[in-house]
Amino acid sequence: MRRKKSRGKSSSPQLKNSVVMRLYIADNAPNSLLAVANLKDICQEFLKDNFSLEIIDVLVEPFRALADGIVVTPSLSILSRSPNGKIVGNLSDKSGVLRALGIRG
Amino acid sequence: MKARDPDPARLHETPDFESNILRLVKGARECRAIKLGQVDAIIDRVSGRAILLPDAQAALLERKARFRSLVELSSDGYWEQDEHYRFAMCTGAAIGSEKSGVNGIIGKMLWELPFDNHSEVDWETHRTQLEWRAIFRDLELRRIDDSGKRRIISISGEPMFDKELRFKGYHGITRDISERKQTEIGAPESDRFARATLDALATKVCVIDTAGKIITANAAWHVFADSRNGNAADCSEGDNYSARTAEVIGSESVNNIAMTAGIRQVIAGEREMFRYKCFFDTPSGLRWFIATVTRLHGVGAACAIISYEDITEITKTEQLLRLECTVARSLADSNSTSQALKAVIRAVCETQQWDCGRYFRLDPETSLLNIEESYGAQVAGVEQFVDRSRGTSIHPDAGSAGRASKSSHPIWVVNGSRGSHMSQGVPAHETGLDGAFVFPVIAEGKTLGVFAFSGRIVCEQDDRLLYAVGTIGKQVGQFLRHKQEEDALRHSEARFRRLTELSSDWYWEQDSNFRFTKIVGTGIVGAGDVLGKTLWEVPAIVLSDDEWVRHKSELAAQWSFCDLEFDVLLPDGQNRHYLISGEPVYDEIGIFSGFHGTGLDITQRKRAEIELRKSVAGLRDLM
Repeated sequence: MRRKKSRGKSSSPQLKNSVVMRLYIADNAPNSLLAVANLKDICQEFLKDNFSLEIIDVLVEPFRALADGIVVTPSLSILSRSPNGKIVGNLSDKSGVLRALGIRG
Repeated sequence: MKARDPDPARLHETPDFESNILRLVKGARECRAIKLGQVDAIIDRVSGRAILLPDAQAALLERKARFRSLVELSSDGYWEQDEHYRFAMCTGAAIGSEKSGVNGIIGKMLWELPFDNHSEVDWETHRTQLEWRAIFRDLELRRIDDSGKRRIISISGEPMFDKELRFKGYHGITRDISERKQTEIGAPESDRFARATLDALATKVCVIDTAGKIITANAAWHVFADSRNGNAADCSEGDNYSARTAEVIGSESVNNIAMTAGIRQVIAGEREMFRYKCFFDTPSGLRWFIATVTRLHGVGAACAIISYEDITEITKTEQLLRLECTVARSLADSNSTSQALKAVIRAVCETQQWDCGRYFRLDPETSLLNIEESYGAQVAGVEQFVDRSRGTSIHPDAGSAGRASKSSHPIWVVNGSRGSHMSQGVPAHETGLDGAFVFPVIAEGKTLGVFAFSGRIVCEQDDRLLYAVGTIGKQVGQFLRHKQEEDALRHSEARFRRLTELSSDWYWEQDSNFRFTKIVGTGIVGAGDVLGKTLWEVPAIVLSDDEWVRHKSELAAQWSFCDLEFDVLLPDGQNRHYLISGEPVYDEIGIFSGFHGTGLDITQRKRAEIELRKSVAGLRDLM
């Protein structure tokens, strides 16, 4: 399963460049659903239209996860950062996610 | 690519599951997340498989079970077929026999199961549906169950595809509808029966609620609604009919205003029934209906029933009868040919919705059709058309008028510009007239002329009108022939009178009792009033008894008499001398109606003769 969300030009005051992310999940498993919901809230609140998100179901495409160095799901890979940032877990640690996104301290 | 479904049995039965997991995950972040219970699956780098952790596994299985349970709640069974339409799984025993259960179905195709209501043709149709990957719904299958009872199963299915869009088979649900079917069959007065009865009616029927919304409509209503796309009549279930009729504008707006008012009155309970004759413009021409709105009592939400009974055939027949009557009356009331022709043209135009009509008389010498009379509606294009065609002639080989004249048969032209039915030099399309109808006027097998009608609205050929105008053409033909004969007779009579007047002094007529009824000319001067008297009742007439006897016997025998000479004694003592001649008159059926004849005053001649005789006698005396 692959879900891709692409947004246009930035309208967020916090970020100059668009954030490109990949979220690896396992079907509708509880933590995966939670990760999607948490990320959705963060994107709406902080990134507005200034992000691009691809959701990959590892039960369907496990090799994509392996190719990206992902071992567990849910995992969020931030591709627009150099080196790529990675957050493991259901993204319930909001401040950690924001830090990884470079939005706050 | 690996299968989505994990193998929980293998995972949980492995004794050193935890150590295996830890072997797969080396990163600190990953280990921490696992310990916090925030991980659903781990990807095995060696096998390339995603392995669900027990909690996630259990959650997904529970979710799947819940879905199955919901499916089963809404149906009696769930099934899946592979790409060869073989049953791969089936829950619920609705499809197969109770004894063999699901095992009797797995691996078989639907048409291999013992259903008895499908022929090979039906299965072929079903297979075609499957080949087209179509969704099928409520396919009814009938079989006898193990207890010998008849069971009817409704099966629905849809195709499954993988992510590369490859066909993977079908899946769907089954429902045991045996009881419902039994109820339907066992209750002839049920809704199904009422529905079937309603649908069998040719009259368009719908039922509305208190808001004017259509609750249900019969098949005839739907058929008509489909043909009336864009009009109020295209309402269907769920539409507010009352509101839609109020919105309509154009030629049918009067209909709809009346209908809206009628519906509102019936819904409000102000009247029990409302009836209204209306018409609709359909692709096949105008159609007339009797609309009836009847109030309903005590039938739930239903408030009124609206029906439209098609009375087009009756209306057209009435129009034709009215046309024939009008034509017959016009011919009877007309004093002249011109008046009659105009009345006939007007009657056809008004009853058959033609804009204008013209009569072309066939000149037997030149063979040209000369326009004689015309009538048109007071519309700019029509008046222009009629004006421009005045005084024109049509060659018998030209146009539909010429063809109708030659063939002696009516002609219906849908497109005027094609048939060139109009006068030469006046094409119909210039004036907006595009339909035409021409029929000949015939008497004694000969064409006397043609009537040509034109209209802006192109109507389909009306065969009954074509048949009716055959009669009208003959009626008018007979009328024209009689008029011609009357005119000829009148001229002949006038000529005869003139000749009579030249050869006599007066003309007389007697009734069957030999009494004078008419005297034209000088009459018997000095005899007083002779009208109402017989010749022998006039005291001044002098005739010998023998001559009277002879004259009376001639009259009684109804013989013609010639030069009966008599004298009239004038008050001054002088005589006047007359000669009368007469002949008997008979009516149309041969009954004697009297005498008529002429009279001549021969007084001068007689006096001259007397004087001459006296002179001759004088000369003889001198000699």
